[in-house]
Amino acid sequence: MGRIAVTILLIFSALQGSGMNIYERNCVKCHENLPVSLDKFFFNYLLKYSSERQVKQALRNYLKHPRRKASLATEELLERYGIMPKSNLSDEELRKAIDIYWDKYKVFGKIE
Amino acid sequence: MSASNVTATGINRSERITLIRFIGLYSFLVLMILILGSTIYFKLQKDLMLQTKRLELEEYSKELIDGLKLLHIYFDRYRTYPRNSLYRSAIYDADHVQIFSTLKDPQGVQLDKVIYTTDGVIQYIHVLDSYYLGTKYTVVEIDDDKVWFKEAWRNILLYGGVLLFIFMAAGVVLMRLFLSPMREAIHLLDRFIKDTTHELNTPVSAILSNIEMIDQKRLDEKTARKIRRIEIGARTISTIYQDLTYLALDHQIVSEDRDTDVSALLKERIEYFKILGESKKITFKTDIQPGVKLFIDPAKLARLIDNLLSNAIKYNRRGGTVYIALHPKELVIKDTGIGMEKKEIAEAFKRYKRFKSGAGGFGIGLNIVAMIASEYNLDVKIESKKGQGSEVFVKWDV
Repeated sequence: MGRIAVTILLIFSALQGSGMNIYERNCVKCHENLPVSLDKFFFNYLLKYSSERQVKQALRNYLKHPRRKASLATEELLERYGIMPKSNLSDEELRKAIDIYWDKYKVFGKIE
Repeated sequence: MSASNVTATGINRSERITLIRFIGLYSFLVLMILILGSTIYFKLQKDLMLQTKRLELEEYSKELIDGLKLLHIYFDRYRTYPRNSLYRSAIYDADHVQIFSTLKDPQGVQLDKVIYTTDGVIQYIHVLDSYYLGTKYTVVEIDDDKVWFKEAWRNILLYGGVLLFIFMAAGVVLMRLFLSPMREAIHLLDRFIKDTTHELNTPVSAILSNIEMIDQKRLDEKTARKIRRIEIGARTISTIYQDLTYLALDHQIVSEDRDTDVSALLKERIEYFKILGESKKITFKTDIQPGVKLFIDPAKLARLIDNLLSNAIKYNRRGGTVYIALHPKELVIKDTGIGMEKKEIAEAFKRYKRFKSGAGGFGIGLNIVAMIASEYNLDVKIESKKGQGSEVFVKWDV
């Protein structure tokens, strides 16, 4: 148990060392400027796609091919900020970013 | 057992067999029908119970979904699962992964059904349109009080029992109806056999006693021979009469056992059969030790000896010999006749079995011997060689 904690600490410090992770660099940076926080988007995806597999798949599809019709943002938000620009991350990077996003906001293990 | 309710044809026994077989088949069919009916009734009762419970469970489900909706909206501040003491619940996502559960046993959940019972609980599955917290399926569970179960079983046992009784009563009535013509015919036949046997006795006795009264020395050769033949015929009928009465009545009434002088009885029976042997020119050779005793009904011993002697004559060749030996605890009767094969020996004691159709008789002789032997624990053995003759050993007290 102690060893795992040490390992996790080491990983965290390494991440700190390199600054921010791929999700923070590519997603949070832009979304920080929006009035709607990222967790709201997450729960909208959850509301529509339910499971981890389907949420991740929908996110990946949207990030690669953003379309107004597929967007889960409100009309007002879209009017004001338009749809998100197409991601230029590689498939692998995208997968990593989405995994981090999922782990950050998933409800598994958080309900009491 | 009195002789009046005994039948010559064994109707009671065969009727009982028919009855048992019919009842067996009938009960099997009746049970099948009852089981089928009970299964349908049970299923209906269960569905009825589930329909009633469903309304209640739907209410709980709605309440749970409302709770999930609130939790979904305020998840950043508030994370307590909506619980209620009236029911337990669980939520699953679209890939059937459990998100949260307060169920007794989350393993038995069947998300493809709507309402069902499992392990003493009733579970109701509701599919959501909006997946609050990713929830596609809510499972609401309450305890199955089993009241319906007990009631269904009570009704099945009660009404099933009543129906079974009615069916069985109907079956017995039906069978009596079907059997009665057969039974009448058999009873008629039975009475006929008894009457005939009885009516035979008087004329045969009359013939035999009158022949004995004839002074044969005063007759000419030709007439004497004819009288002799008449006597042989009458004695044959008399033997058959004895066998038939034994089968029809005697063996079912109480035996009059006493210490019987086997030697004397045997000699007497040989004398009686000598005249029957004469027509086939059969010689009798005897080795009879005097004073051999056996505790037996003399009439039955006579039947046994008569049948063995009669067979030894019947199946002998012309001019053959019959050897009769009596020692303490053993009687041996040997002939020089056609003999039997091994397979035939085993079958010889069956009723109506005859090996030579030309020899006459009913094939009841050895069957009577076997019956008497088993009654008195006598050991009867046949040794025989085809074409050389048979040897019958009767042993007792061994």
